[in-house]
Amino acid sequence: MKIKIELFGVSREFSKNNLLEFEINNNSTIKDIRNKIINYLDQNFNGNKNFKKIVNSSAFCTENNNIVSDNYKITKNEKIAIIPPIGGG
Amino acid sequence: MLHAKVVNIKEKKISLSAAEKFVHSSDYGATIYFTGTVRNQNNKKNVIGITYDSHDALVIKSFNEIYEEAYHKLKIQNRAVFIEHAKGYLNLGEISIIIAVACKHRDEAYILSRYIIEEIKKRSPIWKKEHYVDNQSDWLKGNPIVHEKN
Repeated sequence: MKIKIELFGVSREFSKNNLLEFEINNNSTIKDIRNKIINYLDQNFNGNKNFKKIVNSSAFCTENNNIVSDNYKITKNEKIAIIPPIGGG
Repeated sequence: MLHAKVVNIKEKKISLSAAEKFVHSSDYGATIYFTGTVRNQNNKKNVIGITYDSHDALVIKSFNEIYEEAYHKLKIQNRAVFIEHAKGYLNLGEISIIIAVACKHRDEAYILSRYIIEEIKKRSPIWKKEHYVDNQSDWLKGNPIVHEKN
């Protein structure tokens, strides 16, 4: 199935479209998504270490606006947002 | 009573007058206005502006949770809270956030105002991209948002 990753903050630098799309297996988890993004960065940004560090310290958010853990199973073609380290105000 | 909004700066500026109108009531004897503004220096770099990015829905959710916690954690029952955060490009001196709180007494107003801004810094998904005099720009590092358990 296909999954869309909506990009925010510094992760917007990953794509001009502000979105990444991956083909994933059924019952894939957030951990799998994290690895997909890391692989994408290896291929498209020469393994940019800063970008990979950002992915590893990011949270992920479902369409229902819930922050979910690495074990969260993606069961439909949902849109997931990456939430890099924050700092508003 | 809560007003919580992410304001797209291309559509309107955030201003104190709306906050004043919202929190004004003879029910409250203490009102505090906090504003965050764009500063001209950060980490020894000369800043000319900041672009704010936001996950709007999650930000509003966090504002609501923080407001509710004022009752459950801080035991502040009677309160009016106005929170607006800007999204988009701001020049030096422009307001990025307004937090207006009105409570019965000053002690709880000071506590609530400080609590809200500190929790927003930790929990609300907002990001800053600083722009510098040399035409460079950088996303600020920030801190990881707390992961919730499923």
